[in-house]
Amino acid sequence: MSGEEKAGQDKGGYLRELTKGFITTNPLLVLMVGLCSSLAVSTRVENCIFMGLAVIFVLTCSNVIISLIRRFIPEQIRIPIFIVVIASFVTIVDLTLKGYFKPVYDRLGVWIPLIVVNCIILARAEGYAYSNKVSFAALDGLGLGMGYTSVLLIMSVFRELLGTGKIVFGNTALINLGSDSMPVILIMFPGAFITFALLLALLQWYNARRKPEEEGEEG
Amino acid sequence: MHELWRFFLLFLGAALVYNILLIRFIALCPFFGISNRMETSIGMSISVIFVMVMATSVSWLAWNYALEPLGVGEFLYIPAFILVIASLVQFVEMVIKKTSPPLYKAMGIYLPLITTNCAVLAAATESVKPGFFTKLNIAYSYGFLEAVVYTLGVAVGFSAVLIIFAAMRERIDMAPVPKFFRGVPIAFMAAALFSLAFMGFAGMFKL
Repeated sequence: MSGEEKAGQDKGGYLRELTKGFITTNPLLVLMVGLCSSLAVSTRVENCIFMGLAVIFVLTCSNVIISLIRRFIPEQIRIPIFIVVIASFVTIVDLTLKGYFKPVYDRLGVWIPLIVVNCIILARAEGYAYSNKVSFAALDGLGLGMGYTSVLLIMSVFRELLGTGKIVFGNTALINLGSDSMPVILIMFPGAFITFALLLALLQWYNARRKPEEEGEEG
Repeated sequence: MHELWRFFLLFLGAALVYNILLIRFIALCPFFGISNRMETSIGMSISVIFVMVMATSVSWLAWNYALEPLGVGEFLYIPAFILVIASLVQFVEMVIKKTSPPLYKAMGIYLPLITTNCAVLAAATESVKPGFFTKLNIAYSYGFLEAVVYTLGVAVGFSAVLIIFAAMRERIDMAPVPKFFRGVPIAFMAAALFSLAFMGFAGMFKL
């Protein structure tokens, strides 16, 4: 949570704030925060979409509010204030899902309260929104939320498709490989760790491949 | 004697069968963040056991004597518990700093991190809503002693896995690992095998 970032000094501007969440500061793969919920919910694509939306909503709203009131927050008690702001938005999501999307809430419900302590949100509040203006904070929340969601979707497609042989939305199967003998281990607990390890290795491979090329271009 | 046996099973169930890290996927961030060194893992474990038991005790009292009688538990438990945890951590930090500088040196830097350790919030919620995270549909609610024993089990399960895993990672650092798996990816692979081993406990006995 250390190392405060200052935004907007260089030319990239708004667009860069929005897109950095996908690769350069991806919350899951690079910052390694918010792992618990992502590994647990990525057994179904449907769960991931709702979880991603919930995180995008909470992250963007809390970033905006904290950035708005940042001049009135005394430094000593900033963490409890951040947490109260975050907890209010999480409660909104909790009650909304419970009221309108009952089946999803039954599968996902336990992870919603834990968004409060999801390190992504507190880390962005502390490290970014507290020291940047509102427009940047909103884009930062949106971008990182989408980066989180994209990783979740990649993991869940891999795990659900290969682990069960089909992708199910509601009661209908969108894709059905029609095979009964799939590696079930992928949708069980160890499968989450294996999938994530493969993704991280892929990123390291990508970075290693990209670096020499960049150096070559500069030289 | 019967009561004692129940407590023992509750403790083991929370520590092994429903291990918070490997079976329930809670508190993975500090797990991977800290487990690369043995010393820090031990410091973190002691702090977590201490804070978790205290946080659950206070949350249990708050739920049973304030939130539930007033009928606002469903809406306010998230902010209430997280505030209890945040202020407790701050308070514990101040007390330790004043009374025991050596202890503060040992666990001081880990205390602020515990606020964002999902395991503490999870254990507090689980102690007032049994089966919430394990999806077990337990009909009764824990008494105060049961809640404390349960939390102690969760915390000890967390610490044991954290310390064993730290030892494993120190060995992995010296092992020949494929190039792109070096560092964190291989740690996740090890965690996968570890989790596979813990699945052997599943269904051994109920909570």
